[in-house]
This record gives sequence, structure tokens and C-alpha cells, in this order.
Amino acid sequence: MNNNTIDNDKSDHSVHITSYSEHFGTWISLILLTSLTVFISVYGADLNTLTVATALFIASVKALVVAYYFMHLKYDPKLYRIMILVVMALFTVFLIMLTLDYLTR
Amino acid sequence: MEHTFVLPNSGHNYDAKASKMGMWLFLYTELLLFGGLFMVYMVYRSMHPEAFLIASLNLNVWMGTINTVVLLTSSMTIAMSITALQLGNSKLSLRLLFLTIVASVIFMVIKYFEWGAKIEHGLWPGMEHFLSLSYGEKLYFYLYFFMTGLHALHIIVGAIFIIVVMNKIKNNKVNKDKYQLLENSGLYWHLVDLIWIYLFPLFYLIH
Repeated sequence: MNNNTIDNDKSDHSVHITSYSEHFGTWISLILLTSLTVFISVYGADLNTLTVATALFIASVKALVVAYYFMHLKYDPKLYRIMILVVMALFTVFLIMLTLDYLTR
Repeated sequence: MEHTFVLPNSGHNYDAKASKMGMWLFLYTELLLFGGLFMVYMVYRSMHPEAFLIASLNLNVWMGTINTVVLLTSSMTIAMSITALQLGNSKLSLRLLFLTIVASVIFMVIKYFEWGAKIEHGLWPGMEHFLSLSYGEKLYFYLYFFMTGLHALHIIVGAIFIIVVMNKIKNNKVNKDKYQLLENSGLYWHLVDLIWIYLFPLFYLIH
């Protein structure tokens, strides 16, 4: 009996297996986004402040793709996504407090 | 009356869910560690926008781009190695992990040449050329060396982690039914990739 319950613990992995082609597709999209951000920076330098915002936006899209597909968040229980949101919220609070501090000096 | 009481999780247990949750909790602290550094960057950059721009021209965009591609590729190979082990193909899994290690070595070699060039130009904090720079440019190089250095340290730790997992796969301690350790090393490696995704545009691309 006891052995059985312990054995059952072994298979509590997430059952979803991501296919090789899905990983390859993720890689392709990440490479395309990288080319885009390098291209904008190297050949569109006169856009200036716009490039900073675009670069950060593209970086965030890439980060999301890595987290969602490579880090398997898409197929994980909701809890992991909620926890990521909590961390992001915490970071945003720090950022706002820091900005307020510097703006009111 | 005899009781045979066995703790539900005593002995040589294996709890994939708890292990994964623990890894994620650690990754959240890593995000906040680098998040704090990004905030320092943000403040100093907003105080010295021109100096950061001039200083960033010292970096080689193409070396940074190659390293980005190398890291993204290694992220794919380690993700595929998890798929391979889940399907029971430990040989392919080991090969893909080996490719990941090769990528980490390529990354570090490129990093060595990048840092080497900077040090040759006297840009390491305290060197002659560095001391002649403006305050803002100095701040840029402090942050550049510290943040990419801390990131490179993570690459080394991640590579060691992967080598440990490879050994366990060879000894069949990590296998088709028990692969959480491999998944955890993968999560760590993806995080290192994720941080580089932000470091790359902030130091190399913003001009």
C-alpha cells in the first residue's frame, strides 16, 4: 500500500511533452525578433528615443516567448503565471517608488 | 495494537512538483536581483543620457548579436533535450545537453575577447583611459562590467549544473520517469537567456 502511494508520486510530472518542431518554431521567432531589434538599432539610429522604447518592447516580447514556450509556462498550472505577475507587480512598485524618489529630490 | 506509521514523504522520495516550485521561487529572486540592477541603470542613464550613448559606442554590436544567437540556440537545445528524455531517448538528450555546454563555452570565449578588448583600451575601472572619462561614462562601464560579469557568472553556474545533470542521466538517476532535475537546469538556463535578452539592447543597441 505504502509503496504504491510513493510510486505514484514519481509520475506527478506535468504530462505535456513539447514537440521538437514547437521548440524549433520558438527559436525561429526569437531569431527573427533579434534580427528586427538589431536592424532597427543599426539602421534606424536617427529615430533616437523611439528606438529605446522599441528595443525594450521587442525584448519584452522575446522574454515572454522564452517564458511561455521554452520555460513551459503555457502548459504549467495557472499558479506559476500568477506568481510571475506578483513578481512583476512587486518590481513595478519598486520602480514607481524609485521614480517618485528621484522626481521629488 | 501495532501501528506502522510511515511519514508520507519520508525516505527516498521524489516530488517533482515541489522541486519545480522551489526552482521557480529561486528564479523569482534572481529576477528581482537583476531587476534592481536594471533600476540602477535606469536612474544613471536618465541622469547621464549623452555619456551613456557615447560609452555604448565602445561596444561591438555584432559580438553582442552573435552571443544573443548562441544563447537562444542553447536555450532551444536544452528545451529539446527535455523532450528527448521525456520520450525516453536519453542518448539524444545527452547529445543536446552537450551542444548546450558547447554554446556556453562559445559564449564565454566571445565574452573573453570582448572584455579583453575593453581592458586593452584601458576601460577597466581604475585604468588610465577609464580615469580620463566623464562621470557618466564611468558609471556606464561600472554597470557594464558588473552586470555582464554577474550574467557570465550565471552562465558558468548554469553550465556546471547541466554537467551535473548529464552525469546523473548517464547513471540513470535522472531518467524518463524522474526528469525534474533536468527541467530545473533547463529553467535556470532559460532565465540566464532571459536576462541576456534585456542586457543586450540596454548595453549594445541603445544609441
